[in-house]
Amino acid sequence: MLNAERKPVTGKRVQLMATCLCDAIYDDVGRATVEVLEHAGCTVDFPEGQTCCGQPAFNGGDWAAARKVVRHAVRTFTGEDPVILPSGSCAAMLFHGASLAFEHEPDRVEVEALGRRTWELIDFLVNGLGITTWPGRFDAKIALHRSCHTRGTESIPAALTLLRSIPGVEVVEFGEVEQCCGFGGTFSVSFPNISTAMGTLKLAHLRAAQPDLLASVDMSCLMHLGGLAAHEGKPVKIMHVAQILRDALKHP
Amino acid sequence: MSSDRDTILARVHGALAPLAERAPLPEWDLELVHMRTIQPATDLWALFAERLKLVNGTPLSAVADLVALLEQGRWRRGYCDPALWPQFKDAFPAIFTVETAFDRTRVDDYDFGITAATGAIAETGTLVLTDQGTSSRLAALAPWVHVAVLRREQIHADISAALAVMPADPNIVWVTGPSKTADVEGILIEGVHGPGVQVALLV
Amino acid sequence: MAKQLIDQFAATLPADKRASVYQSTKSTHEKRTKMLFDQFAEPNRLRALAGEIKQHVLEHLDTLLPAVEAKLQANGARVHWAATAEAACTAVLRIMQARGATKMVKAKTMVSEEIALAPFLEKHGIEALETDLGEFIVQIDHDHPSHIVRPIIHKNRREIATSFERHGLGAYNDDPQTITRRARQFLRQKYLQADVGLTGANFVSAESGRIVLVTNEGNSRFSLAAPPCHIVLVGIEKLVPRDRDLGLLLNLLARSATAQQLTVYTEFISGPKSAAQPDGPEEMHVIFVDNGRTEVLASECREILRCIRCGACMNVCPVYRQVSGHAYRSVYPGPVGAVLSPLLAGKKFPELADLPKASSLCGACHEVCPVNIPIPDLLLRLRDKAKREGARRAAAGTPPMGAWALLASQPAAWKAALFGSKIINYLPTKLLPVPPLRAWEDTRALPEMRGGEFRKWMKGRKKS
Ligand code: SF4
Repeated sequence: MLNAERKPVTGKRVQLMATCLCDAIYDDVGRATVEVLEHAGCTVDFPEGQTCCGQPAFNGGDWAAARKVVRHAVRTFTGEDPVILPSGSCAAMLFHGASLAFEHEPDRVEVEALGRRTWELIDFLVNGLGITTWPGRFDAKIALHRSCHTRGTESIPAALTLLRSIPGVEVVEFGEVEQCCGFGGTFSVSFPNISTAMGTLKLAHLRAAQPDLLASVDMSCLMHLGGLAAHEGKPVKIMHVAQILRDALKHP
Repeated sequence: MSSDRDTILARVHGALAPLAERAPLPEWDLELVHMRTIQPATDLWALFAERLKLVNGTPLSAVADLVALLEQGRWRRGYCDPALWPQFKDAFPAIFTVETAFDRTRVDDYDFGITAATGAIAETGTLVLTDQGTSSRLAALAPWVHVAVLRREQIHADISAALAVMPADPNIVWVTGPSKTADVEGILIEGVHGPGVQVALLV
Repeated sequence: MAKQLIDQFAATLPADKRASVYQSTKSTHEKRTKMLFDQFAEPNRLRALAGEIKQHVLEHLDTLLPAVEAKLQANGARVHWAATAEAACTAVLRIMQARGATKMVKAKTMVSEEIALAPFLEKHGIEALETDLGEFIVQIDHDHPSHIVRPIIHKNRREIATSFERHGLGAYNDDPQTITRRARQFLRQKYLQADVGLTGANFVSAESGRIVLVTNEGNSRFSLAAPPCHIVLVGIEKLVPRDRDLGLLLNLLARSATAQQLTVYTEFISGPKSAAQPDGPEEMHVIFVDNGRTEVLASECREILRCIRCGACMNVCPVYRQVSGHAYRSVYPGPVGAVLSPLLAGKKFPELADLPKASSLCGACHEVCPVNIPIPDLLLRLRDKAKREGARRAAAGTPPMGAWALLASQPAAWKAALFGSKIINYLPTKLLPVPPLRAWEDTRALPEMRGGEFRKWMKGRKKS
């Protein structure tokens, strides 16, 4: 879902919304996000009061609860600076999901204003800042999982552009690239059989390409795929694209 | 059932009344549905024949070829539109039995049916049949082989061109190849209820 | 904690069924995509336009319906209206009784499935025989279709051969060609004996009153060539504004449904046969069916009524591919069904309120839909509706979100919880009777909790 009426980027100050996954589990992805943004010349502001984008409740069907969380985000991310998330899914929640949940609410305007300055990180680097090549070196065969909530956005083309520009990176193709990993938030626990079957299929496609690692712009998918693989006793290496960009910088 | 009519229309009114604005009807350019894989053709019959073959249809441009096809398939009993038969009669040897009235009590006695097409669509390999142009709906459908007789000037370039000049007719049928199904395990089988062989004969 | 019915169904679906559903949906989807993108410069533009055209129709039904009624009448058809399923069944029965008719041949129509027409007619002593090969097999097996375009996607040739044998359609032979020929022979006699041919309609042009019908097998053509009376059963949403719009919709429908440039038979029917024509119906009836559609029209999910029943959304759906059609417990399966079925259920919405939950919201359905229906948004709206109405089936397995939302709107509590979450790393989680945790851990390893670490790092940087 494209963020259609997105505000053009003018300055280099950004607000980071780390997402609850980085907050609770993947702190290194949060760190990489900051370092990558700073490398791009941005000043990163991290509003301390931030929590979550509201998506778990929104997708779970509890829109009243979701609105509570989105309102908190609106209060926390004030000003006009772009809000950057290292997650296509959480970004889509803010620029698309939230406007659905606020269709009949008096504060819809504020919510949509936040949506218009919300960016998924890699999309921001390429289409917000105009970066099309990335320096450094990263030696790996990478399978890029297309997380579903980047469908119809510029995030995946952006990620491919940057990854392919890094010396040493080989992006490998695999079967049924458009198919979902089966995570789906609460879907993964309320429909565990289907979710697992979907993930297993995805893993099989990914593994067939024999990559060194699975990458994505969403840690949620990687958490699911990585968790499945580890449970099978055949772990796979997972990395957020931001981590790859950051690590590439270490090898000039 | 007038009360159901009123009920439904009242519900429709009720459902639409709260809409602040209603979706406009978009204009769209016919060029958008033009297949880019197809070059504009000067010879529409040639294009039509090529496209018909792609859907397993059989384009023929001489009566002799039709007779050869039927002989080869051992399809010897058939029906022909009485208006067309005089022009074909001489080409059919005596081993053929051709009737000019279709007897619905003996549908399986006919191996082939020859009727007139009203048009064709080159881009898709489609034959256009109409109720008024077809001497018998059953004869064009029940036999294993259907032969639609077509004239060069009846061929339209594409779907939109055909839609623009739809004749006033109660039953227009676009036929794109032989009858088919993939219901059983996705395997393509031709000749389900309609013809297994669809011929377009240019005269 | 209660479990989700569709997930339970998935667990019991035999592996060979799953494999065959997966294979055939995948291959149709791939052919569809290749065809659209190879042949058209802007396929997504076409989908968007088709969506706008159908949305226009929905929002102008108040004027279009009376207009098309007048057209149809002028063309010599009789028009009937049925507000409910019962009314639609009764309308068909009355037409038949008035003609002293006892035998009907039916082409595939989803509306007739929806109103359960065949069992109703049988109760009244009328034979109503399905003529689409797949539907015919479903009927003799007393089964239900599991896909709206491929009704027997869940059956293999051996099952079909066995039921043909049981029904006296020849000794066991599972060659698809033989199966098809036997059905051909059996059914053509039935067409010739039938008093009435019943079809659905894919489109009805408001401009010309033409009923547009597409089939590959030719069964609807036969139903219009042999019996003397034609009944059309059509949902009120099936209108298109102009004949020229059919150029767009037919191109999209055939490619989306079966990866063809055009369906083999596309029929434009505007009335009974002409005087000189020896074959075909001398009488034509069109029954416009509501059966819950006006309620959908009044809802915020009205976009689902754009649907042209192509099946592309189920072909691409990763959930449908795992569960097949019967899991959806309704006439319309897959993504379209997950929206439409609970809505058409009316007061029985809670019984099907779990359907919109059976989705990872991956959005593949929206991306392929030829009329650009934002299915994931509609699924979400229905989840919200289910929650507000307290539908228990929808709630099963979803962790409660109220407390979480409270936490996520209070930064201090949130931070405390983040640090606290690390305790999970030290707990024997596999022994904890927390259902969502169990559901996750049965097949997936838990990641290490590192709550608060990122914030610590951020703080450290600020100081330095
Ligand atoms: S919802 Fe869209 S994709 Fe699904 S059957 Fe209907 S028209 Fe086809």
